[in-house]
Amino acid sequence: MKAAYHRSRVIGLLLAILVLIMADHLASPTFAFNMGDGHARTSLNQRDASACAPCGAPCPSTRQ
Amino acid sequence: MTQTSAAAPVQGRLPVDRFVVGVALAGMLILGGLVWLETAPFLVALFGVGIALGMALYHGAFGFTAGWRNLVTKRRGAGMRAQLILFALTSALMIPLLGSGEPGMVGAVAPIGTSLVVGSFVFGLGMQLGGGCGSGTLFTVGAGNLRMLVTLAFFIIGAVVGSIHLPWWLDLPSLDPVSLIDSVGVIGAIAVQWAGLALVMLWVNRVERRAHGSLERSELRLAPAEGGVLRTLVQGRWPFVWAILVLAIGNTLTLAIGGAPWGITFAFNLWGAKALQAIGVDMSQFEFWTWDYPAMALADSVLVNITSVMNFGLLLGAMLAAGLANRFNEASRKPIEGRQFLAAIIGGLLLGYGARLGFGCNIGALFSGLASGSLHAWVWFACAFVGSLVGIRLRPWFRLPN
Repeated sequence: MKAAYHRSRVIGLLLAILVLIMADHLASPTFAFNMGDGHARTSLNQRDASACAPCGAPCPSTRQ
Repeated sequence: MTQTSAAAPVQGRLPVDRFVVGVALAGMLILGGLVWLETAPFLVALFGVGIALGMALYHGAFGFTAGWRNLVTKRRGAGMRAQLILFALTSALMIPLLGSGEPGMVGAVAPIGTSLVVGSFVFGLGMQLGGGCGSGTLFTVGAGNLRMLVTLAFFIIGAVVGSIHLPWWLDLPSLDPVSLIDSVGVIGAIAVQWAGLALVMLWVNRVERRAHGSLERSELRLAPAEGGVLRTLVQGRWPFVWAILVLAIGNTLTLAIGGAPWGITFAFNLWGAKALQAIGVDMSQFEFWTWDYPAMALADSVLVNITSVMNFGLLLGAMLAAGLANRFNEASRKPIEGRQFLAAIIGGLLLGYGARLGFGCNIGALFSGLASGSLHAWVWFACAFVGSLVGIRLRPWFRLPN
């Protein structure tokens, strides 16, 4: 049976995603920190316990 | 889960798609290695959990969208009952964890108000037009479904627009989150959730009995419909119970390892915002992106954002499962018609916008919300179901099968 996809397109799409991830990562504070920049502000733990929703939204009662 | 991309029952000897399996495994090694080298072991563990979740969603054909639609159009409730069992089991696992007072662990609780009602309704409508929910869109894209890739692209756009509008919606009448764990304790919260889920199940059973006289109990089947256990484990299709176990344990592990339950759609927001930022848009002009969590996520690598890392794992897990089942991209053999394409665009936009206003999708708001004992999840469930009813009525116009 003929394949339902082109191999080159699958590889190309995944490589494009990898390039985007790498471009984002190489410009990030985490990468800078790993490269020895001790002043880079990384955020390995991004949870905000004071938020009122998983997206970080504040509580309605605290909004003015 | 869309009907078109459901893993088929095992028939005969299906060869494995070695190319797709190889590419998926290579992707896992490369991305997992990057996460390991650049971030922390707990993120590698969550990447692994994402892979398992993606495989379970694909091999279990575990979709919320089709389950809801089957109840409405065919009056069959097995998919819906499987979801309710999943919620009940995960509540029993996660509520005690959240009630233990362990520091650094937060549940998926959210405010109850206009934003939630409108957002979940819009999301439910988008589910039926887009052809999938948050998890459904992601795992079908991983399995190579091109129509769902369109839905995902517009899901991301809708989510970013939603994030820009969310502060305005939050200023409309709304209540602070209500946690059943804080209100009635751990045992009380589980009891309330189970009672609520039992009531919904009774209603689902009633609908099916009225239409067919008896219930199809496929959600309780432990053994594969066809083929041996090992072969079904590798190639699908899994009985619902297998998928339920993996999803329940996966969400609990996400909470235990990452400190918060499983979510999907925040990453879509983040990816869209990063794309805008890359072309020069100052996202800090929008209130949403000044809040602590979104601001931290936007400023740092996607490889340290738990939701993004898990989504990457989920995509690759679904790809691996589709390769093992030899069905990668199978759903895209038929060309997409104009109106179906339009449905994917509109559905994606509604999904994204609704997910942001409704504080998540079927995973972050419904599944994780119920398992966290949050009242907002029940409001989300009801409103999204009503939206879904409207979406089901609109599907024929878009030439989508019901």
